[in-house]
Amino acid sequence: MTEETYRLNCFVENKPGVLARIVGLISGRGYNIQTLNVGPTEDGTVSRMRIDVLGTERVVNQIILQLRNCVNVIEVTSRRR
Amino acid sequence: MFGYPGGNVVDVFDHVRTAKFRFVLGRHEQGCVHMADGYARATGRPGVAIVTSGPGATNAITGLATANVDGVPLVLVSGQVPLSQIGTDAFQEADMTGICRAATKHSFLVKSADEIPEVVAEAFYIATHGKPGAVVIDVPRNVQEATTDARYPERVSLRAYHPESAATPSQVNRLAKWLNEAKRPVLLAGGGVIAANAAGDVAALAAKAGIPVVTTLMGIGCVSASGMHSLGMAGLYGSYAANAALAAADLVVALGVRFSDRVTERCFPNGVHRARLVHVDCDPSSIDKNVTADLGIVADVKDLLTTVNSRVKPSLRAAWLARVAEWKAKHPFSYRQLRRGVIMPQAVVEAVDRAADGRTLLVADVGQNQMWCAQYFRHSHPRRFLCSGGMGTMGFALPAAIGAAIARPDCRVVAVAGDGGAQMTIQELAVAVAERLPIVLVVVNNGCLGMVRQMQDESFGGRRCAVAFPRVHGAGCPDFVKLAHAYGAGGVRVTDPAKLDSAVAKAMRAKGPTLVDVVVDPEANV
Ligand SMILES: Cc1ncc(C[n+]2csc(CCOP(=O)(O)OP(=O)(O)O)c2C)c(N)n1
Ligand SMILES: [Mg+2]
Repeated sequence: MTEETYRLNCFVENKPGVLARIVGLISGRGYNIQTLNVGPTEDGTVSRMRIDVLGTERVVNQIILQLRNCVNVIEVTSRRR
Repeated sequence: MFGYPGGNVVDVFDHVRTAKFRFVLGRHEQGCVHMADGYARATGRPGVAIVTSGPGATNAITGLATANVDGVPLVLVSGQVPLSQIGTDAFQEADMTGICRAATKHSFLVKSADEIPEVVAEAFYIATHGKPGAVVIDVPRNVQEATTDARYPERVSLRAYHPESAATPSQVNRLAKWLNEAKRPVLLAGGGVIAANAAGDVAALAAKAGIPVVTTLMGIGCVSASGMHSLGMAGLYGSYAANAALAAADLVVALGVRFSDRVTERCFPNGVHRARLVHVDCDPSSIDKNVTADLGIVADVKDLLTTVNSRVKPSLRAAWLARVAEWKAKHPFSYRQLRRGVIMPQAVVEAVDRAADGRTLLVADVGQNQMWCAQYFRHSHPRRFLCSGGMGTMGFALPAAIGAAIARPDCRVVAVAGDGGAQMTIQELAVAVAERLPIVLVVVNNGCLGMVRQMQDESFGGRRCAVAFPRVHGAGCPDFVKLAHAYGAGGVRVTDPAKLDSAVAKAMRAKGPTLVDVVVDPEANV
């Protein structure tokens, strides 16, 4: 399977430690984050993260499912870049 | 509650003193967490431990990782330096929420006393819902000192975490149809079945539809080993019958398993299987992770089985069951006596098995001894065989046995450990003595790190390195019997095969904690 860049769009609770948890989940499994962009949303309690990762479809799906298991992650969507 | 105090948690201990629950003082924080873990594995209820900041917290990490990877519900409270000192390299400051991130399901750093009731409620909710796991509540000292009017919430609702899931009607239909069509179906039951208290439902499905059951290491006890549908453990160290049945099956229904490499390397090479594969788990991320399923169902195993059991047709599947029964009868686990007059380690587990009754709870450590406990004990009940599966943590058995003995005073708890693993947490024997727990610690003493020695023999041309424990004055080093006596526990050494049964049986009748040091053949392999 070929590796491609995927953009993950995450909406997460705006709480301390959430960024570290999400970045740790991805890097701790040996995947490299190419771009990371974090910002507020109109709802001050929710942050939006755009994460670009390089991986096979299977690996990226795995990352998405594990992100969804994260207690602070509200929603994750992805698309191939 | 199990724990160990220190300066940054002493305020909480002032209330532990007058609390209504039982508090057990461990001898090392790793042991405290394993005790809470053993309590949880034996009951299904969350175990609770409390430790101080800094070294207390870091000592707890192995225990957290051990529980978390096996899906054991556990809540750890750790003290922390006062909020004003966080980030200053204060005395006994460790970034606990940072350090424990990969070893827990979730963690909280409490910022104010007002948050405490809600955080505690959420911690227990997270530990026990979805795939259970370990949760840390890190509480700075100034928060411990503060007071609050906040009340314990009546219910927990987490904005982003909704682990409840159910099979769709079409998934249930397909599973029922495939089960009804299959000629050679096999149920592969894992720790998720036990966690969901669904062992009875697996047995019921097996009996109704004539389906043999194989288990993973963590699924041991799902079905009684003596039952006609039970083929034992699959995988690297699994039984012939279990692996042969998986290989010959035309439908494998995997229930509450995560397909660890211990199982896949042997039974699902390259993550594929010839047969139709259905994978049921409460954790969506476990499906298609290591093995690709033809049908993946995210659901509570018990809920699903309740529905499926009413939908499958009764069937005898006589030919298939006869075939697997023949494998089971013809190829039991077996070993060869290597030297006359020297106890074989497998025989130690057989002796424990003979001395056991319906109320025996076996806790295995890690290494060769763990595999022999899986193979040579006739496991009959869920939550009566505890071991560290995912982490393979040496030193687990004794403290976990203490937690299990406190949780199940009606059971006789026997811990089996190697001479290596026993030395990792032997100090917890003091707890068994102090708490008057009649546990038995059987040390399978082969004078070496047997599992590693076997690996070096098999894969490194016998180049042994860093695996032998030299014997001193005839006894092993340490002398486990003297050590047991030093802790105030009973202790006996067995070297004569003829005396093994009586020594084990006697220890299992003893009133207090007893260590049985069994000197075994060091060259035996799994
Ligand atoms: C904490 C920890 N350190 C190292 C290991 C690696 N390891 C796995 S089995 C084993 C040998 C265990 O020796 P022993 O406890 O004597 O049991 P035996 O295999 O001899 O039955 C070792 C070192 C481990 N599983 N856990
Ligand atoms: Mg050993």
